[in-house]
Amino acid sequence: MAASIDRKPLLRLENVGKTFRMGEVAVEALRQVSLEVFAGEMLVMVGPSGSGKTTILNILGGLDTATEGRVWYGDRDMSRFTPSELTAYRRDAIGFVFQFYNLVPNLSARENVMVATEISDDPMDVDEALRLVGLDERLDHFPSQLSGGEQQRVAIARALAKNPGLLLCDEPTGALDFATGKRVLRLLVDLKRHLGKTVVLITHNGAIAPVADRVVRLRSGQIVEVHANPEPVPPEEIVW
Amino acid sequence: MSVLHRKLGRELRASGLLLLAVVSIIAVGVACFVSMGAAYYNLNEAKRSYYRQCRMADFWMDLKKVPLTELDGLARLPGIAAIRPRIQFYATVDLENRTKPLNGLVLSLPDRREPVINDVVIRRGGYFSDRRRNEVIVSDAFAAHHHLAPGQWIHLVLNNRRQELFIVGTAISSEFVYLMPPGGLAPDRENYGVFYLKNSYAEEVFDFDGAANQVVGRLAPEVRDDPRELFRRAEDLLAPYGVFLTTALADQASNNFLTQEIAGLRVFAVFMPAIFLAVAALVLNVLLGRLAEQQRTVMGTLKALGYSDRRVFWHFLELALAVGATGAVLGCGLGHWIGGWMTATYRAFYELPDLTNRLYWGVMLSAGAISIGCAVLGSLRGSRAVLRLQPAEAMRPKPPKRGGAVFLERVGWFWRRLSSDWRLVLRGVIRNRVRTLAGAFAAAMGSALLVSGFMMVDASQYMLDFQFKWIIKSDVDLALKDEQNDDALFEAARLPGVDRAEPTLNVACTFSHGPYRKKGAVTGIAPGATLTVPREVDARPIPIPPVGVVMTRKMAELLHVRPGDSVLVEPVKGLREPRRVCVRHVADSFMGLSVYADVGYLSRLIGEEYAVNGIQLATDRDPARLDALYRELKAMPALEAVSDRRAMVESLEKIFLEQMGIFTGALVVFAGVVFFGSILNASLINLAERQGEVATLRVLGYGPWRVGSLLLRESMIVTLVGTVLGMPIGYGLSVLSSWAYDTELFRFPVVSTPGTWIWTVALAVLFGLSAHLFVQRAIHRMNWLEALQAKE
Repeated sequence: MAASIDRKPLLRLENVGKTFRMGEVAVEALRQVSLEVFAGEMLVMVGPSGSGKTTILNILGGLDTATEGRVWYGDRDMSRFTPSELTAYRRDAIGFVFQFYNLVPNLSARENVMVATEISDDPMDVDEALRLVGLDERLDHFPSQLSGGEQQRVAIARALAKNPGLLLCDEPTGALDFATGKRVLRLLVDLKRHLGKTVVLITHNGAIAPVADRVVRLRSGQIVEVHANPEPVPPEEIVW
Repeated sequence: MSVLHRKLGRELRASGLLLLAVVSIIAVGVACFVSMGAAYYNLNEAKRSYYRQCRMADFWMDLKKVPLTELDGLARLPGIAAIRPRIQFYATVDLENRTKPLNGLVLSLPDRREPVINDVVIRRGGYFSDRRRNEVIVSDAFAAHHHLAPGQWIHLVLNNRRQELFIVGTAISSEFVYLMPPGGLAPDRENYGVFYLKNSYAEEVFDFDGAANQVVGRLAPEVRDDPRELFRRAEDLLAPYGVFLTTALADQASNNFLTQEIAGLRVFAVFMPAIFLAVAALVLNVLLGRLAEQQRTVMGTLKALGYSDRRVFWHFLELALAVGATGAVLGCGLGHWIGGWMTATYRAFYELPDLTNRLYWGVMLSAGAISIGCAVLGSLRGSRAVLRLQPAEAMRPKPPKRGGAVFLERVGWFWRRLSSDWRLVLRGVIRNRVRTLAGAFAAAMGSALLVSGFMMVDASQYMLDFQFKWIIKSDVDLALKDEQNDDALFEAARLPGVDRAEPTLNVACTFSHGPYRKKGAVTGIAPGATLTVPREVDARPIPIPPVGVVMTRKMAELLHVRPGDSVLVEPVKGLREPRRVCVRHVADSFMGLSVYADVGYLSRLIGEEYAVNGIQLATDRDPARLDALYRELKAMPALEAVSDRRAMVESLEKIFLEQMGIFTGALVVFAGVVFFGSILNASLINLAERQGEVATLRVLGYGPWRVGSLLLRESMIVTLVGTVLGMPIGYGLSVLSSWAYDTELFRFPVVSTPGTWIWTVALAVLFGLSAHLFVQRAIHRMNWLEALQAKE
């Protein structure tokens, strides 16, 4: 049963555009994107490589800023946030899960989670966060001693341990095998259902879309379709 | 402990070798600062307290003979705070267990102990008593060398008579911290001592009742900085009594040497550490720039997690602080030890009773602050560049560097001839501008250190050779008590063991040229003399003109005189009329303010037909004949002093070789730290950044040695370019040292031998190859398969 979804948007993009300078080249990653994220939902953004999904996620997470348009967090205009306010937003409001985990190589699993809890005002217990992701046996192992799936689960525990309302996941299954990927998806769905987290997930793998409450399709920096899934499919039934 | 601190600790351990290289450079820089600072303060404090204890004089005035009653006027001159007249003469010392006559300076002290200017500090025994009139206090170093102790008897030839004296004590004095024999450059404890006699006895034995021939005095504070006018008035006042020379404290030989040494330490304490710390900052800049790039993703992740820019910057800075602090602590410890060694070495040369190595917390704290400051400076560029990025951008791989041809490729005929290996190497050097510049700078500093150090050794050797082997070539010099005619010369020539005898006449005088005046002496030598030969800068001999004088360059500079100019010469003995004399030639010399003339011409200047007061001897080396010579010399009462120049030069060379050996060794080690540290650092970073490239080459079939040779060629190009660029810097440092050590007592020439340049390049190559061994080992151990799979 889907957890309740608040109809007032938690996050809102309003005609957002983003242009990158990569050396001598300018790349328009997003054009006129408008999108709402509602509290308590699982939103999946799907699109091929270069469609702008990572860029949207980074802007939603305060990791990057839009070149045009406005970004709202509740009724606060994030486009006008000072660097300190953006830092506070990243610290308190969101938990980010990266495609390649981005764990600190010379910290153990527990310590990688502690990196997040030490700056948080209301953190979860570190061991509890790791237990939630099923890693209670591997707390003192270093990333090089963990499998890809285990590393991703540490990354999820790190994002979770801050007790954020919003989890942003950048291709969380992209570097994982099929079975491990499904386990990670199950974890994310459980977090949404049992802990009431809002989960935004981006992927190039369209097969994942059915687990979402809503699906946003992107192409060439623009949203081409948004549709709702009235009956999200359990991750175990998905095949790719 | 926070997690980030644990991360920092593990990173420090993982980067051990790289960081050790930088820490070593910092430690050496700090050690130089602390050791030289400590030696500076040790010497300065010891000098200050010693001068205070002995009531060190501010001036010495040498006269022919002045009644004590005529000194009241001097004492009352405004600016004169106190005076003490005394009797001083040179004497020969006749020790029973020594064939050679030794030399001594005899000074009078009050019969009863009272605080006096240029007082003595009794080391063994006591002051004079009422029991005997012929008591003597002997300088402690001379007494120790010859195992003389209170209660023993000693013989001195005083005023042509052999006198027996009873040793009541040994003493030291601030006046003779660096006791050089006349014409010498270093203390000679074996052959030269100071002998203090009771004033009453000195008056009796030298026929100086109620008179003195030297006045020492102290000045009022307001005239201490510039007492020249006061001295002129004092000399005018005492002119009837034959004023030879007035020496201010600044020009007094012992004080001059000590002050120059202290001043030199102060200069070295600044520029030596500056070199090391500048290199350390640059090397750290490259290293931490690399670490910042390596940790781009981690820093971006921390920012994404909600760490503020300040916190992330501080975390990164802590690495630099750890490096700076470690270098500072190690450097302070090493510096304190070196300072102790330097102080012990100084004790061998400078007789300072209170010279001990102390801890100077101020110096250490300054060193620590400077080292940490350098480390922080070195880290700013790397960390700020990444911190300025948004978290998302920081986590993205850095855009590829600009491609395109390097400038050398425009030289088509050259570029086409190069193999792909050499093209890789040259592109690597040219494209990594910051790393190349940092490496070249470090090599330049290492090279400058070596060149300036080797040139100092060359200069010292040249100075010794020039002065003691080319200008003055005698084996034994005799100083006669009074002027004699040429009979003394013939008598000396007939002494056993003498191969050649040449006359000299030393006349103290005042030179004037317009507004410029200088007291000095003219040395008369025979035409065609071979034992004193004035020389040009290229060591060509300058013939003594029959009329006129040959003046050394420093004296000519002081008088603003050029060859052909005439100067007014006013002798202080004989016919004391000022005479206009032509300066025929300007000679080079690195010691003293010598002026030479024909002995006959000089004799006539002072109203004599032919006068001699010194004889230079070239002697046999047969020890038996030398012993016979010394026995004869001991029995000659007309001698004021006998200088064994050959022994003195041998002793000087021995001291010099020892000191220079230690100095050169230390210099090579320090330069090695700079070279080794910076080359190792740059090469390992190079290797880390190009793992993918290295792995690709291995897949293609390059062996590890061939891969290593690419990196070696890059580091050698940078090292050799830097080494060559550093050579003129080292030469410039040598010129600066020469300017700094340009005094009336001695001057340092700027000399380099081919060995300087060859050794510098050879050592740079050696250090480069040594550093490369570690890099080669890393290449052999590299898991290049894993490197191929590493995510960009």
